[in-house]
Amino acid sequence: MTTDLVIGMAGAGGDGVIAAGEALMTAAARSGYRAMMTKSYGPQIRGGESSFHLRIATGEIFNAGTMLDIAVALNWDDFLRFGAELPVGGRTTVVHDGAEGAALPLEGVSPADAVAAPIAEMARTSAGTEKAKNTVVLGLLAGWLGLSADSLLAGVRKRFARKSPEVLAGNERAFAAGLAFAQAHPLRTDRRLCETAPPPSPRWLVDGNEMCAAAALVAGCEFFGGYPITPSSEIMHFLGREIWRHGGTVLQAEDEIAGIGAVIGASFAGRKAMTATSGPGMSLKSEMLGLATIAEVPLVCVNVQRGGPSTGLPTKSEQSDLFQAAFSAHGDAVRPVLAPISVADTCRITIEAFNIAEQFQTPVILLSDADIAQRKEVIDPIDPRAFTIVDRRLPNERELEHYARFQITESGVSPISYPGLEGGNFLASGIEHNERGAPTASGEVHAQMNEKRIRKLAPLKARRDLFSIEGDRDAPIGLVSWGSVAGVASEATAVARREGIQMKLLVPRLLYPISEEVYEDFFASVRAGLVIEQSHQGQLFRIIRMFVDVPRGLESLARSGSNPITVHDVLDRVRQMVVAFQRQRVPQEEPTLG
Amino acid sequence: MAYTPQDYKSELKPIWCPGCGDYGVVQAIYRALATIGRPPHEIAFVSGIGCSSRIPGYTTAYGFNSVHGRALPIAQGIKIARPELLVLVAGGDGDGFSIGGGHVAHAIRRNVDLTYIVMDNQVYGLTKGQLSPTSPRGFRTVSSPEGSLEDPVNPLMYVLGYGGRFVAQGTPADLSGLTQLVVEGLRYPGFAFINVQSPCVTYGSPDAQLKAHKSSMKNLASLGHDEGNRLRAMELAAEYGRSLYTGIFYRDPEPPPAYEALVAERRRALTDPGASRERVLEKFALR
Repeated sequence: MTTDLVIGMAGAGGDGVIAAGEALMTAAARSGYRAMMTKSYGPQIRGGESSFHLRIATGEIFNAGTMLDIAVALNWDDFLRFGAELPVGGRTTVVHDGAEGAALPLEGVSPADAVAAPIAEMARTSAGTEKAKNTVVLGLLAGWLGLSADSLLAGVRKRFARKSPEVLAGNERAFAAGLAFAQAHPLRTDRRLCETAPPPSPRWLVDGNEMCAAAALVAGCEFFGGYPITPSSEIMHFLGREIWRHGGTVLQAEDEIAGIGAVIGASFAGRKAMTATSGPGMSLKSEMLGLATIAEVPLVCVNVQRGGPSTGLPTKSEQSDLFQAAFSAHGDAVRPVLAPISVADTCRITIEAFNIAEQFQTPVILLSDADIAQRKEVIDPIDPRAFTIVDRRLPNERELEHYARFQITESGVSPISYPGLEGGNFLASGIEHNERGAPTASGEVHAQMNEKRIRKLAPLKARRDLFSIEGDRDAPIGLVSWGSVAGVASEATAVARREGIQMKLLVPRLLYPISEEVYEDFFASVRAGLVIEQSHQGQLFRIIRMFVDVPRGLESLARSGSNPITVHDVLDRVRQMVVAFQRQRVPQEEPTLG
Repeated sequence: MAYTPQDYKSELKPIWCPGCGDYGVVQAIYRALATIGRPPHEIAFVSGIGCSSRIPGYTTAYGFNSVHGRALPIAQGIKIARPELLVLVAGGDGDGFSIGGGHVAHAIRRNVDLTYIVMDNQVYGLTKGQLSPTSPRGFRTVSSPEGSLEDPVNPLMYVLGYGGRFVAQGTPADLSGLTQLVVEGLRYPGFAFINVQSPCVTYGSPDAQLKAHKSSMKNLASLGHDEGNRLRAMELAAEYGRSLYTGIFYRDPEPPPAYEALVAERRRALTDPGASRERVLEKFALR
C-alpha cells in the first residue's frame, strides 16, 4: 500500500490519453485523494501524441512529482517522445501493450516490473474497437490501484452518455476486461493506494488559467481585452463564456497592443479590467504598461510564462520573465509584480492583483507560469467571502470643486474620476503632467511626479501577507523560491526537516518591488541557502542581490525551463551545505610539504 | 442647456506654430461639439502622439493623450466600457497610417461608434520634419534629402477599401464646411473617418498641399456627388494628392448597428440577474 503515487501515460492522438487521465483524477478526487495532473502534447496542431503525468496522494501535495511509479505506454514511440515529462526509473512499474518478455526500449534502466498487457486486443475483443484502449487502461488501473471501480465506471458512463448504447456497453465491457486482467495479474510491487477519508464537502478540480479567470470575476473584472497566445489563452476562453453573465465584455483584439490598449481605455472609463498574455505578448505590451504607469491607470496584466526568448518553448514552463516584468519599462517606472505558487494560490493572488491595481492606480503584472496555468489540481473549496475586494478611490464633492487628478497627496494616491463624472474632467497622458494633468517639461514637476508614483507603492513592501515562511524560524539554512517551483522547495523543506536539518523557506508572492525588510529579517539567521527558480540566469537571485545584502552562503539553484527542478536536486544541495557546516567547525589543517 | 464653442475650450495654450492648420481643426471641433450639445464631461477625446495629438488637452472633455499610434484601441475600450459617452479620436497621418496603421482596419470592421479625425499634414512635425506616410513621392526632408522613393498612403482609399461607412475630407481653409463634417461624423452611428488636409507651415509644403488647391478646391455636394455610392466615392478618393475634394465621400445610407450596440444587446441577453460573482468559483466543485 502507498500514500503517494505518480502515474504517467502516453499514446497517439485519438487514444484518449488525456480523457483517461481526467477520469482517473476525477475518480481519485471523489474518493478523497489529492491529485495534480499535467498534460503534454506533441508539436502537432491536431492528432499528435499526448501524455498525462498524474500524482495521487492521501495528503496534501505541492508539486506534480517527477519519477513515475507506474508508466503506461500504449506505444513506445509516443511514450519516448515525452522523455523529460515521463521519467522512468528503476522502481517504475512499466505497463505496455507488447509481447510478454519483450525487451523494453528503455536505455540504462531495468524497471522493477514490466507488465505486458494486451491492451489493444482487449479493446477489440470487448468493445469491437481499439478506441476503447483508454477504457481498458482505466480498468487495469482500477484494479492495480484499488481505486473505486464504481466511481471510475460512473465517469465512463458520463463520458459516453451521449453516444449510442452500443458504444457505452462496449466501453463498460472494456473496463471490465481491464479490471479482470489486473485482478488476474497482480503487480510485483504493490501499488494500491491507502484508503483516505472522503472530504467533508466536495473538493474542486481546476487548472490555473481557469482559476485566474474566475478569480478575476470575483475581484470585479468587467472587461477583458487580449489576443490568443499559448499558454494563456484559456483565460480569455473562460471569460468569453462567463463574463457576459456578470454584465462584462471580452474583446479579442487585433493584436497584443490593442488588447492592452482597450483595457487601458476601459479602465480609464472606470471599469476594472484585465489582459493576459505570454512572453512575446509582454514584449509588445511594454509601451502600454509604461503608459498605464504614468497615466496612473489601474489594470492587471497576466503573463503566463513559457520558455523564451522570442517564440522559445511555447508549451513549456519557465520563470524567465521576471527581469522583464520588473524592468521592461523605460523611465523610472516601478510596478508591482505578483506570482502565485499553485492553482489555489492563483485565486488569492489574482484578487490581490486587482486590489493592488485599484488601490494604487497602477498596472500590476501577475506572473503565472505554464506549469500552474495548465495543470489541474484537486483543491479544497475556497470561500470567496474571505477576500476583501478593493475599489478605486473616487473624488468626493469637495475634491471635485477644484479637481486635480494627479494631486500630490501624502499617500501618493490621488482620487481618480472617470468620463461621465461631472467636474472630474481631466487630461490623462503619457507625457509628463502636473497635478491638474497639463503637459509639462518641467524638471521639478517630473521629479515630484516620479517620487509620487513610486512613493505610493511603499505600503506594499510592508505587506508581509504577500510572503510565506515555513520551517524553523532561526534556521541557518534558508531557501527562497517562487511560482510553481515553490511547491518543490516546500516539499524539500518538509523532507529535510524530517531528516533533522534546520531549514526554512521564504516564498514571496510580491516579487517586485523588493521588500528589503522581509528578506533582511529572513536572512538574519541564514548562513547558507538557495534561491530556487526555473530560469537559466536565476533572475530572482540576482534581483534580490540588487536590493539586499544577502548571506555569503546564498547560492542560486536555477535551470532553464523544461528541465524540472526536483525535490532531490534541492535536498542534495542542502545536505552538502550541512556537511560544509561541520567542516567549518574544525580548522582544516593543510598538510605541509616537508 | 445650450452650449457655446467656448464651453469646450480649455485653458491650455496650444504649442502649435503660428499659422498651423490644426488651429482651424480645434475651432471646428469646438463649434461642432456646441452644435451637438453634449456636456464636456460626457465626452472622451483620445489621441496618440504628434503635434496634432495634443488636441484633447485643448478641450474641456475628458482627454487621453496616449502613446504613438494607439489612440484607436484605447478609444474603443472607452466606448465599449461606457457606450453612453461621445468618443472622439484624433491624430496625425503618421499616428494613424504609419505606426498605428494596423489598428485602422480593425476599427473599421469592428465599427465602434467613434469619430476619427486625422490631421493630414504630409510630414512629421513634432520630430522636426521627416517623411510621413502621406508625403508625396520625391518629397525632400531631413530624412530624405534626395527625395522620397515611396508613394504616399491614400487615407481615403485606405478607409474606403476596408469598408469604412463614413468617409469625409475637409480643410481648415473652409472652417464652416469642416465644422459641418465633424457634426455629421459625430452624428453618424458607427466608425466615422474625417481626413483633414491640415498643412504644416514649418516643415511641410503648405503651398503644394493647400494654397495652390484653394482656388480649385471642389466641394463634393456642389458637384452633385451621391454620398451613398461607394464605388464613385472610391473613384474620387483615388484623386487624393491630385485633386482636393471636400465633403462626404461616402456615408452608408443604412448604417448597421454599431459594435457597442451589439455588445449591449448580447449583455442584455446573457446577463444573469441571479449570477453572483462570489459563486463563480463553485463551478469547480466536483459533482
